[in-house]
Amino acid sequence: MEPVIHCHQLSKSFRFKTVAVNGFDLNIPAGEVYGLIGRNGAGKTTALKLMMGLLRPDGGETRILGRNLWNATRAERQRVVYVSQGQHAPGWMTLRELGRYAEHFYDQWDGDLMREHARRWDLPMDLAVNKFSGGNQRLASLCLALASRPEVLLLDEPAAGLDPIARRELNSCLIDALLRVEGCTLLLSTHLLGDLERLATRTGIMDRGRIIAEGSVEEWQRTMRRVQVVFPGSEVPPDFAIPGAIRTTRLGPVVTALVRVIHDSQLLEVRSMPGVRVNLFPLTLEELFVDWFRDSTDDALPVPASPLGQPGLSVAWKQT
Amino acid sequence: MTTQLHLQIDDRSGVPVYRQIMDQIKYYVAGGTLRPGDQIPSIRELANAMAVNPTTVVKAYSELEAEGIIEKRHGKGAFIAAQAPALSVVDQENALRRSAKQLAVEATQLQVPSPKVITVVREELGALSPERNDEDAPVKFSVLGGDRAS
Repeated sequence: MEPVIHCHQLSKSFRFKTVAVNGFDLNIPAGEVYGLIGRNGAGKTTALKLMMGLLRPDGGETRILGRNLWNATRAERQRVVYVSQGQHAPGWMTLRELGRYAEHFYDQWDGDLMREHARRWDLPMDLAVNKFSGGNQRLASLCLALASRPEVLLLDEPAAGLDPIARRELNSCLIDALLRVEGCTLLLSTHLLGDLERLATRTGIMDRGRIIAEGSVEEWQRTMRRVQVVFPGSEVPPDFAIPGAIRTTRLGPVVTALVRVIHDSQLLEVRSMPGVRVNLFPLTLEELFVDWFRDSTDDALPVPASPLGQPGLSVAWKQT
Repeated sequence: MTTQLHLQIDDRSGVPVYRQIMDQIKYYVAGGTLRPGDQIPSIRELANAMAVNPTTVVKAYSELEAEGIIEKRHGKGAFIAAQAPALSVVDQENALRRSAKQLAVEATQLQVPSPKVITVVREELGALSPERNDEDAPVKFSVLGGDRAS
């Protein structure tokens, strides 16, 4: 069965600008919550717009629910909803009016659901949307998007500009949307990696126009560790290295490294060194992301090779 | 009977969310808050209340079932198993060890002497429940962690 969201070798460049998306591959099966993360300018927004058919690709192909949305009919598009970064609903209309307007375009429109979300987020139904604060205008767009009971939701940084309470409510509403529609598929780009730990089943890291790493958050959290080796009162041997280390820093008698710990025996040799203390700390997705990509903008320093790409592991790292 | 559960996800711990859910339910069982036969929230309820992906809750519940801590009754929901194995002393210690290591690192960085660290821990335990201000008293697990990111 074809995945709900499918992209193959998508590419797009703009005039006066370098390549935005290049060799972008993505396959998301039904029911998955996929988090797209990456530095600013990695091409996340362009990729989403290509998928939605809002931009025409220079090369490659993309389909959602088996359709290329660039030339799809309204009926074919209505099960897919996209909320862009800067999107605000037509400002002079109230939420109630916008609801009545949108109702005509979506067969599954659920006015009660829209009012329920509006209540939850404290959004007035009878005030022109352009009188709302920036964050609330965003929530108004999401409110409308969710009311169409979509099968596929593409959200470009949905939580940007929201306060912590609103963010939490947003997460609950996304969960609610997942529970409401069987097989509802969600693709979101975000910089809030803590939210992804709760929401995403799979995460892809985008760099320079393509996905360079993909895997489950859980798998990363289970195996990636910050390993700290302390040589109390003695010098660190000059040739000392922690097996499997991706990045290493030394500070006095302490060596700290980002390590993929596949099996505890990997550290046996280090642990058996006389007088040495070894500590392992779990990492959040955010810490992992920062440690991993600290130097990736520097072309002289390649993305660290391999430890995540070994056979038999569900995490696939692609070399750029 | 459905017991009101207070579960928290710590976004800063680096521990997978399903594991955090599992651990906390285990601690509630170990501490006697959850007893054999008690009903625990449905997958839908828990996913909604904690704003986590339902598949994560499914995973946590499946692993708890495999460990014999909960049992699913068809059409009725999930319950604490009659023979829910108590948390072993080793499990208890491992659970604490994680936080203790972090504390040790921070104390070393701040150059706080060990006796002072012990005093601080004892005070914090005492603040949570006065009758536990006693070094032999069992540690109450249900208060570990917290939703620090929100």
